[in-house]
Amino acid sequence: MIRLRSVSKEYERRTILDALDLQVDAGEFVFLTGPSGAGKTTLLRMLYAAEHPTEGEVWVAGRRIDEMVRAQLPLLRRKIGVIFQDFKLLRRKTVLENITFVLRIHGIAPREAHRRAMKVLRRLGLQHRQAAFPDALSGGEQQRVAIARALAYQPRLILADEPTGNLDADLASELLSLLCDINYQGATVLVATHDHAILESIPARTLVLHQGQIHYDGMWPP
Amino acid sequence: MIRHAIAEGLVVLRERAAVSVILALVLGVPISLAGVGLTLHQWLGPVAGLSGQKSSVAVLLHPQMEGSERRRWIAELASDHPDWVVSEVSSSDLAERLQRWFPYLKDLMDSGDATLPPLLEILTDNPESVTELEDRAEVLAIGPRSSIQQTLGQVARRLALIVGVVSFVLLAGAVLLAAVWVHLELYRHADEVTIMRLVGATEGTIRGPFLVAVAIPGVVAGILSVVGSLATVSGLSKLSSALGLSAMSIPPSILVLQLATSVFLPLLAAVITLARHAADATEN
Repeated sequence: MIRLRSVSKEYERRTILDALDLQVDAGEFVFLTGPSGAGKTTLLRMLYAAEHPTEGEVWVAGRRIDEMVRAQLPLLRRKIGVIFQDFKLLRRKTVLENITFVLRIHGIAPREAHRRAMKVLRRLGLQHRQAAFPDALSGGEQQRVAIARALAYQPRLILADEPTGNLDADLASELLSLLCDINYQGATVLVATHDHAILESIPARTLVLHQGQIHYDGMWPP
Repeated sequence: MIRHAIAEGLVVLRERAAVSVILALVLGVPISLAGVGLTLHQWLGPVAGLSGQKSSVAVLLHPQMEGSERRRWIAELASDHPDWVVSEVSSSDLAERLQRWFPYLKDLMDSGDATLPPLLEILTDNPESVTELEDRAEVLAIGPRSSIQQTLGQVARRLALIVGVVSFVLLAGAVLLAAVWVHLELYRHADEVTIMRLVGATEGTIRGPFLVAVAIPGVVAGILSVVGSLATVSGLSKLSSALGLSAMSIPPSILVLQLATSVFLPLLAAVITLARHAADATEN
């Protein structure tokens, strides 16, 4: 599902990722951890083509994405559900519209989009907030809307950047079980986090990123 | 996604109602002006002899030229200038024509002492070309080379040119305004545009609302320009009728052109601005 070959990324002569090699197979659940500035977010951004590597190849779902032209990116991104660290919700749309909008651009008919959106909102306990605008929600609620949006169209790959950062322990646990459910249904899940409690809550492959390189690749705790 | 484009485009319009009205006006006025200019040009064409109609130039010959010599000279003149229609004014019309073309000879004619000089009338597309006869010994004087039709034609051409230039400058300003507006709206919605790209929206989905937001003032501008042109031409038509000239009307093709231009120009400006923005976009 994901393959990186000698991927390097430099910003203003500072190396963020250094000749990184990585393979994540379809259906895997992988944690990506490491200290702040280790390159976790940069790596995730490369996987949905918001960043391009300085060197190396990035393959996602069988396509080399570092060479993709802009017009090809929407189709790639429709295969990926991204849970952004800063939520990236549309401020002028309600909770429900934030989700139906994404379903609509995936070509899903309005009625079906509404049904699916309500289903995922119920699953995340947000059905009573469907008409609220993002600015009226708490950080945790916004996080759950961002998750609902990423899950609504049942993507083959889910990339989550610190998805539990704004959630309390119960909600974080609930979210992880949700991601596990989706993973059991066949989706590949890659979760970037620096929260060790989360890493220990689920036995899964864990990648430790440090100074742009993978220092550990295996089950957690080591 | 068309429904989305229309709904979001209307939201942009509602948020920027004043700019939308200004855009419609600055588009509508020059397009209306251009429509009136084109109509005037078309109307003045046949009236002023802008094309096809010939002008008459009077040529006063030396009074001492003999009849045979004069006829030979006229024949040579006609053969040298096949585009001229040369005719000698008959003696019955001579006094009246001389007074018309050469008013300064009035005293001479009134005295009745002198023999009236022979007069030619040359019908030509280019009255200025008759000037070449000035140096000929046989020619005493040449009448005005700028006929009323020619003068009217020049006025019409200048009017059309002025209206054209003014319309062009105003339209360029309006197109620039549309482009700047789209540019500013893109910056105002930069976060949304970025999010839309990140969740897989195509450029068409992203651009749709902005195109709708620009097309609607364009349609309003088109209607304004058509109404403005019809009202102006109706007023001018009444004026021309009062002056005994033919009535003026806007051809339907000009009205259609006005409507099409009103929608097309701001859309073109928006498409170029959106394409430039997409090329420069980063997804942070």
